[in-house]
Amino acid sequence: MVVSPVHYIAVPLLAAFLMPLLAKINRELLRIVPGVVIAYLGYVSVVLMNQVVKTGTIIEVIAGWHAPWGINLVFSPFTGFLVSLMVAMAFIIWLYGYRFKSIDNEPAMRYYILFLMLVTGAVGIVLTGDIFNFFVFLEITSISAYALTAFYRDRNGAEAAFKYLLIGGFSSTFLLLAIMLLYTQVGTLNMAEIALRMHDVPTNMKITILILFLVGLGIEAEMFPLNGWAPDAYSQAPSPVGVTFAALVVKAGVYGLIRIIFTIFDVHGAYEYLIVMGAVTLVIAEFSALRQSSLKRMLAYSSIGQMGFVLIAFGIGTQEAVFGAIFLMFNHAIIKGLLFMSGSYLVFNTPNKEIQYLSGYGMKMPLISLFFSLGALAIVGLPPFAGFWSKLYILIAAADNNLIGLIALILGVSIVEIVYYFRVMGRLYFGKPAEGSIMQKPTIGGVVAMSILAVTILVVGFYPDIISSYIQSAAATLLDKAQYIHNVLPNADLSQLQNLK
Amino acid sequence: MDTINYNQLMSIGIYGSAIGLILIGLYAILIKKHLIKIVIGMSIVDAGVHLLFIAIGYISNGTAPIFSPMGEKLIEQGTPMVDPVPQALVLTAIVIGFGVTAVALSLVIRLYRHHNTARIDQIKSLKW
Amino acid sequence: MKKLLVILLLAVVGYSLATAYFSINFGESRIGDVAEKNTVGAFYLSQTPGQLSVSNVVTAIVVNYRGFDTLGEVSVLFLAAMGLGSILYMPKKKGEHTVAILKPSSQLLQAGSKLIFPAILVLGAYVFIHGHLTPGGGFQGGAIIATGFLLMMMAYKDFTMSHTILTWVESLAGITFATIGIAGLAMGQTFLENFLPIGNLNDLLSGGIIPIIYIAVGFKVAAELSGVLETLLSIKEN
Repeated sequence: MVVSPVHYIAVPLLAAFLMPLLAKINRELLRIVPGVVIAYLGYVSVVLMNQVVKTGTIIEVIAGWHAPWGINLVFSPFTGFLVSLMVAMAFIIWLYGYRFKSIDNEPAMRYYILFLMLVTGAVGIVLTGDIFNFFVFLEITSISAYALTAFYRDRNGAEAAFKYLLIGGFSSTFLLLAIMLLYTQVGTLNMAEIALRMHDVPTNMKITILILFLVGLGIEAEMFPLNGWAPDAYSQAPSPVGVTFAALVVKAGVYGLIRIIFTIFDVHGAYEYLIVMGAVTLVIAEFSALRQSSLKRMLAYSSIGQMGFVLIAFGIGTQEAVFGAIFLMFNHAIIKGLLFMSGSYLVFNTPNKEIQYLSGYGMKMPLISLFFSLGALAIVGLPPFAGFWSKLYILIAAADNNLIGLIALILGVSIVEIVYYFRVMGRLYFGKPAEGSIMQKPTIGGVVAMSILAVTILVVGFYPDIISSYIQSAAATLLDKAQYIHNVLPNADLSQLQNLK
Repeated sequence: MDTINYNQLMSIGIYGSAIGLILIGLYAILIKKHLIKIVIGMSIVDAGVHLLFIAIGYISNGTAPIFSPMGEKLIEQGTPMVDPVPQALVLTAIVIGFGVTAVALSLVIRLYRHHNTARIDQIKSLKW
Repeated sequence: MKKLLVILLLAVVGYSLATAYFSINFGESRIGDVAEKNTVGAFYLSQTPGQLSVSNVVTAIVVNYRGFDTLGEVSVLFLAAMGLGSILYMPKKKGEHTVAILKPSSQLLQAGSKLIFPAILVLGAYVFIHGHLTPGGGFQGGAIIATGFLLMMMAYKDFTMSHTILTWVESLAGITFATIGIAGLAMGQTFLENFLPIGNLNDLLSGGIIPIIYIAVGFKVAAELSGVLETLLSIKEN
């Protein structure tokens, strides 16, 4: 059977449906099957990315009905890059979670099924070319996320999950309302077709629908002021799940936002709105991170801030800015992944995961502390680590557009970042460990996972060219609305399209 | 003249009640303190949204989009068929809403087990 | 104070929704002329009896044109059942599996439900088997069957359903759906494409894979809804 984008969805779903039956056969299978499935998806990614680079976007038609009558999947340089990143991170997270102590004590089957579905949902969000299908996959992702947040049997997990559920419920309501209104205006649900017919929609209605979409998707993309759910969810969920939120879920949310603004709508103020909201998110999140005493919450706020930064970069909208934004998404996934993974082992046995108890851990857990410090240095943007390049490109793009205030803002916030990350590192390496503190030894899978991430950070830091060609084509594809529509609807009449950048 | 008034009345009635449901549900979610009432509020919002969705697909004097022998007779007489797409979408949306409600209720049960109360103002151990 | 703010917010939301929706005329046809196929609605209405031999257009949309959405929806149900099991997990002590309803129900309910239960099952099965001919389908039929089970669970304290059977039905139905889709791929066509003969309009055996998928969905929905209800009903009060 030829490899095609639908394998990303069909294979994990089949595996997830099979898992309850497999559980009756052998418990060990439960831990291995997700890894095997995600590894297969990694193979699919490699094959498809190769193909996309040579022959251009792959469109897969589902159920034999071509767009716009049926649903289609779009594997373009941009979506393909995002999906490959997500699948790679999913595999690393699986490695990290293999025999992770606090998960193994609980019934593992449900954890792995939920995890597999979370990955499927996130990948589906990025791959689909149909707006209601997007909603369905978003709900798949969200429900898995709610259940996984409450996975531990303590009281905080359930509360964080309930808060997440309430706010996520608002998100789906607004999205449904937006899709509904959009359907009445354009009569179709296919994203490319909607983009084509957008100019016929009266402006008032366009603005209303756009606002509904922005609120709905802003919740998933952790835009201020709709990110109240995120710090609790990240800190209370099991650590592998927290990494999944940062590396997959929020990326899918930002992708949705970007697809709406860049490809489907053609409204002027949308880009400026992204810059403003991104800046507000960045500032508030980073200052909140400063005030946190719990390590996981600090990392969660830092993650939100990075997403704000990504939104700013997308808002600037030029080729270099979008390049920087996608690069930042890549960096954020691997660096934040490493930070969450190492951080959770650091605070594993401390009460309330507080930073103040980490004194002197640098000596007692040298490898993990090293990983954490590497991640911290990378994320504030110090060369020669990977984070430096994305920050640099975004700053250059901002300078090219004379957004001096923005540059000052970004640099100022970087100083805040340095303060709170170095504070943790200071605790790690200076200070005496408290009596009776028990270290948690990481699993082999955990060490391998973290090492892969650390090596990637170093390699991309020294040779960013390894991935920059992929990211360049990704950025170019995102900005080329006409090309997207032409790929999905080869016979479309593109003369009415207005391009705003 | 009569037909126009009837249509306007229907439109106010249906849109109005659907939007009213959404607002009532939102009120319940934002104001009520008991967790179960909040979950009920979510269900009411869902009901309102689905009603709105179906209302959009209605075509005046239309018949169900089914090509039964009787349906085909009606088509020959010129009766339009109602838009089938919102119905299909709402089908999916109802099921998804059920899934979310089920998970929400299980979380409420969990919270009740831990705190012995189901009132949200007494379960605030995490900072908002 | 908070109530005032909330009411203000709701007024704003309500006003914007109302202006948006009242500009959409109720009952106005937005799908255009069916023959012109300018919108998806018109396309589905015009193509379904001819190309798919299915009389219920909504079923055709749910299972065939937008079958991918249905696959996602079926996984949402599966997820809900899994999530419920994971969230409410408590290490079980052997032999404890009673429903938490303590008072026995009235004679009327017990006698009545025994009478109605088979009829409900038959109705549910009828609805999902004839999904492509009459209004209804897998989801509707499954929900009806689950209601029947709920009735029995409320009437009889010791009416339990074996979780094993439910799990098997769920998984098998889900695997059937996914496999049919992959079979379409394996035969060189696209995922979820119809590969069986489509038969004649208004026959029971028409529509190719559509009745098969909907029957699988009917079983799955019935099993899952009953499982969820059973899990919620067997919560023991401490």
